[in-house]
Amino acid sequence: MSSHSSAPLSRIIRLWRPHYGRLIAGLILSELAVCAGLIMMGKAGQRMTAAAIGVSAGTLLLQIAGTSQIVLRYADRYSTHNAMFRALADLRVWFFQRLAKGAAAGLGFQRSGDLLSRIVGDVQTLDNLYLRILVPLASAALTLPLTAYVWCRANMVAGIIMTSLFAIMAFVLPFLASKQAQALGPSILKAESALRIAALDLTTGLREARAFGAEDILADRVTQSQETLIKHQHTLHIRMALMHGFARLLGQVGIGITLCVLAGVFFHNNHTPILAVTALFVALTAFENISGLSKAGLLTGKVIHASQRIMDVTEQKHTTPHATKHLPEGRDVTLQSLSFRWSEQGPLILDNADATLRRGERVALIAPSGSGKSSLAALLLKAAQPTAGHILLGGTDIADIPDDALRSQIAWLSQASHLFDDTVRENLLLGRRDLDDDALWDALERAQIATTIRNLPEGLDTWIGESGSRLSGGQGRRIALARVLLADAPILILDEPATGLDADTERAFLQTLNTLDDQRSIILIAHRLVGVERLDRVWTLENGKIISQAS
Amino acid sequence: MSGDKSITKRWTKAQGKANRVQTAVCTSLGILATLIAIGQGWALARLIAATLTQSVSTALPWIESYFALAIFRTLLAVLQEVAAIRAGSAARRRVLRDVLQRITLSGPAILRTQHSGTIAGLIVDRIQALDGYFARWVPASALWLTLQWLVVLVVYLENHRAGIVLALCCLSLPIFQAVFGIATGIASRRQFLAMTRLQTRFLDRIKGIATIVLSGATEREAQALAHSADDLRTRTMKVLRIAFLASATTDVAMVIALILIVSTQIQTLSPTSSADALTKALFAVLMVPEAFAPFRALSAAYQDRAHATAAAEGMAELPEVETTSNTQSPLNPAHPYALTVEHVSFSWGEGRPAVFTNLNIALQPGETLILNGESGSGKSTLIELLLGFIKPNSGRILLNDQDISQLSPRHLSNLIAWIGQKPVLFAGSIRENILFARPEATDDELHTALRLSAVSNYLPTLPDGLDTQIGEGGFGLSGGQAQRIAIARAYLKNAPILLLDEPTAHLDPATEQDILHSLKELIAHRTVIMSTHSEQAKSFSNKHLFLTKAAPQTTETEEA
Repeated sequence: MSSHSSAPLSRIIRLWRPHYGRLIAGLILSELAVCAGLIMMGKAGQRMTAAAIGVSAGTLLLQIAGTSQIVLRYADRYSTHNAMFRALADLRVWFFQRLAKGAAAGLGFQRSGDLLSRIVGDVQTLDNLYLRILVPLASAALTLPLTAYVWCRANMVAGIIMTSLFAIMAFVLPFLASKQAQALGPSILKAESALRIAALDLTTGLREARAFGAEDILADRVTQSQETLIKHQHTLHIRMALMHGFARLLGQVGIGITLCVLAGVFFHNNHTPILAVTALFVALTAFENISGLSKAGLLTGKVIHASQRIMDVTEQKHTTPHATKHLPEGRDVTLQSLSFRWSEQGPLILDNADATLRRGERVALIAPSGSGKSSLAALLLKAAQPTAGHILLGGTDIADIPDDALRSQIAWLSQASHLFDDTVRENLLLGRRDLDDDALWDALERAQIATTIRNLPEGLDTWIGESGSRLSGGQGRRIALARVLLADAPILILDEPATGLDADTERAFLQTLNTLDDQRSIILIAHRLVGVERLDRVWTLENGKIISQAS
Repeated sequence: MSGDKSITKRWTKAQGKANRVQTAVCTSLGILATLIAIGQGWALARLIAATLTQSVSTALPWIESYFALAIFRTLLAVLQEVAAIRAGSAARRRVLRDVLQRITLSGPAILRTQHSGTIAGLIVDRIQALDGYFARWVPASALWLTLQWLVVLVVYLENHRAGIVLALCCLSLPIFQAVFGIATGIASRRQFLAMTRLQTRFLDRIKGIATIVLSGATEREAQALAHSADDLRTRTMKVLRIAFLASATTDVAMVIALILIVSTQIQTLSPTSSADALTKALFAVLMVPEAFAPFRALSAAYQDRAHATAAAEGMAELPEVETTSNTQSPLNPAHPYALTVEHVSFSWGEGRPAVFTNLNIALQPGETLILNGESGSGKSTLIELLLGFIKPNSGRILLNDQDISQLSPRHLSNLIAWIGQKPVLFAGSIRENILFARPEATDDELHTALRLSAVSNYLPTLPDGLDTQIGEGGFGLSGGQAQRIAIARAYLKNAPILLLDEPTAHLDPATEQDILHSLKELIAHRTVIMSTHSEQAKSFSNKHLFLTKAAPQTTETEEA
C-alpha cells in the first residue's frame, strides 16, 4: 500500500540519476556537518566534566570539531543547493518534454489553463523533495548509529531506549505526519480551488456585480471560501502542532533518561560520569536537530500527491502509429469518409464526412458553438485520431506523415494560441534563429500591428507581459497572427480566431485576414459569419456531414 | 523603485500594527518559553554538578524539576504554534477584507488598469502566502533581540566571565550582518526570487505548450528552458556563495562563544570546586545554543518576509478606498425615468484623445435609443458612463432631474439593468445565477422571469434543470443559453432603465433571432439604450445615435 503510493516518488528520484554523485555528496556533507555539531557539543560536555573531576585534557578536539562544523555547514549549504538547482532544471525539462510528446498537442483543444497551473504547482512542490525531505531524513538515518554508540557506551539499556525514541521521532512521527497530510490534502486542495473560483467570479464578474448591486454577494463567497480553507488548514496544522509537541516531549524524555543514567537513578551508572555527561550533551543537540522532522513528513504527504498527479498527466499515451512517409508534393486536403468522436461514449461529431480543400482556397467551417467543430483542427494537426476514415494531404494519408513534417505545413491560430511572457521578438520567433528583423516586420505589417509595435518604446524588444497582458485583446491576437504568418505554412487553420474579442475588434481582425496573400489555403472555423469575411466556399456541419456551398 | 520600497514598508508597518494583539500573544509565549528553557538549563547544570561532586542524593529533585519544566515547555510550544496559526489566519482574514473592500468600491473601473486574473491571483496566492509572515516572521523579528539578550543577561548574572564572552559574540552578529548585508536574509530572498523567476517562465511555457508543440518548437524550447535554468543556477549560486558565507558568520559566533566559554571555564574548575561554581560553569555552556536559537528562527522565516513584500506590491496597485458619503435618498425604481446626457466630455486619461466632446442625449421615459458606430467610436464607453463605472470629465448625466454622480453605486444600480456582449456566469446553479439579480425575489417572480427570457425552454434539456451547476467547473451553456440567463436577470430585476451592449454580437444567426425576440418584449415600457450591429435590432426604434471616431462631435439623427 505504501510502496504503491510512493512509486511515483521513486520514479522522480530515478530521474535525477545523472546528478546522483552531487546529490549524495551533498547528503554526506550535510551529515558530516551534523556530526561535527554533535561532536562539538559532546566534547564540550566531556571537557567540562574532565576538568571538574581532575582529569587533564586539552580543548584541541573541541576546536577541531568547532572549526569543521563551520566549514562543513558552509560546504553543506553550497553543495546541497547547487545539486538541488541542477536536479530541478532536469525535472522541469523532463516534464516539459514528456508533456510535449504526449498530451500537449491536444491541450490546445481543451480548456486546460487550470489543469496546467495546478500541474506546474505540483512540479514546484517537488522542489522541497531533496532539500527539505531527503537531506534531513537521510541525515537523521546516518546520525542514528553515531548517537546510539555514544548513548550505549554510557548505559546499554538506556542507550537502546533512547535510540528507539530517536527512531520514533525521526521516522515514525514524520511517517504519521505524511499520512495525515495525505488524508487531509484533498480537502485542502478542494477548498483552495473553490477560493480560486470565487475570486475569479468576483473579478471577472465585477461589471455584473456593480450593475446588479451584488458585489457583497460575490465578496461574501470569497470570504466564505477562505473560511473553509482556513478551517481545513487549521485541522491539519493543529494536528501537526500536537505531533510536533509530542516529538519534543519524546526528546525531553530522552534527555531525562540520560539524566537518570548520570544520577544513577533507575539505571546503574558503573562508568565515569564523563560518558554520561557526553551522552547528555549529544542528546541535547541530537533531539533538538530532529524535533522538526514531522514537518518533513507533512511535506512528504504533499509531494507524494503532487508526484502522483504529475505521473498521471505525463503518462497519457499519445497513440500515433509510427509514421515514415515523406511529405508529398501536393497541398490539397481531402477528408475521406471521416468520422470522429472525442470519447467512446461521446456523440459522433463527424460522421462519414467528405470534403476537399484545394490549394489557395478559403473556406469557412460553420457550426453552432459546442458542436465540436474544433475537432477538425485537432484531426488535421494530428492532435486527435479519426475514429474512421482518412485525411489526405496531397494524396497521402496524414497518419503516415511524421507529426513534425505535417505540422510544418499547417499553421494554427486559435483563442488558445498562447502569448509568452517575453518580448515581441521572442514571441514571433519561438526560438527560431533563421529570421531577420525584416521578416518580422513584414509579418507584423501583414497582421496590421506593425505601426503599434513601432510606437512602443522598445519596438520588437518590448516585453508583452503575461499572456500578452500589456496588450489589448485585439493587439495580442494580431501578434499571434504574425507568428503564424512567419511559419510560412501553406495551410492556415484559424479556429475561432476572434473569440473573446469584443464585436468591433473581431470585425477589424477578420478584415485583416482578407488582406493575406492568396497562396495559402485557409480554413476559418467559426460559429457564425460576421459578414466581412472573404471566402471561396462555406462548409456547414450538419449531423456530422460537411455540406459545401460556394460563397 | 525606492518609492515602491517605501510603500511596501508602510504597508507592512500598518499590517504589523493591525495584527499586534496576535503578535503580542505569540511574543509573550515566546518569552515564557525562553524563561523555561533557562530554567531547564539551570536544572541540568545543577544536576550534573551534584553528580560530579558526588552528592547524588540532591540530584533527584533536579530531575523532577527538569521533567516538570519539560512538560510545561512542550505545552507552551504547542500553544505557541497554535497562536502562530491563529495570528496567520487573523491576518489573512483582515487583508482579504481590505482587498475585497477596495475591489468592490472601485468597481469595474479597476479592470481598466489590471487584469481580472491578476487580482484573483492577489486574493488566492499572495494573501494566502501571508500566513507564514504573520505566523513566523513578525513574532520572530519582534522577539529575537529580546530573547537573545535575556539569555545573555541571565548568564552574566550567574557567571560574569562567560556572560561577557557570550555578550561579545552576540554583539558580533549585527556587525557581521552590517558587513555582509542581512546574512541569511539576503540568501533566502535571492533564492526565493530566483526560484520565482524560474517558476514563472516554466508556468508560462507549460501554459503555451500546445502552441509550442504545434509550431514544431518543442526541442528549441526544451533547450531554452534547460539553458535558462542553468544560467539561473550559476547566477544564483554566485550570490548564494556570499550569502552562505554571511550565514556562516552566525556559526562562527556561536562556535567561538562555545569554545571560549569551555576553555575559560575549565581553568576555573578543579576536583575541589564547589557544586555552585561547577553549576555556573555548566549553565553558561548549556545556554550558548539557546542564545543563538532566536536568530536562527529569524533566518529560517526570512522567506516568509519575501512573500509579504510580494503581497504588499500587489496591494499597492489597488486603488485606496474612498468613502464618499451619499446623502441622497434613493430613487424609486418603480417609476419611469427620462435619461438625459448633458454636455458630456470624456477621455480615457490625460493626453489621450477625447472619446466624447459635448455629447447630448435626451430620452423620454419608455423610449429606446439605438447606438450605431464603427469600432472604437465609444459605444461601450457611453454605456459604462451611464452605468456609473466611469465618470465624465465634464457634463452631467441625469435620471429625471437627478445627477447620477450624486447617487451611490447601490442606488444607481437599483434603477438600471444591463446586458453585455457575454454574460459572466458564476460557479453555482442556474437558480443562483439568476436570483443574483434580486436575491429577495419570490418563486413566482423567478418563474415569470424564466418564462419571459425563454430560459424555461431549455431547462428540461439540462441534467438538473434549474439546479444545474454552471460556471467554472460546471455544465457548459452555449452562448445563446448564457445570454438568456442575462435576460432573465434583467426581467427579474425589472429596472426602469435598460442598457444593452451588443447583446447578440457573439451568437449565430438562428440564436440571434430567438434572443432578439425575447429582448423586444423586455425593452417595452423601459427607457433603453442599445448598441448593436444587427439590422433587425436596429428596427426596434427609430431613434438612432451615430457615434464616429474621426470627429468626436456627435450628431443625433432621428429617422422616420
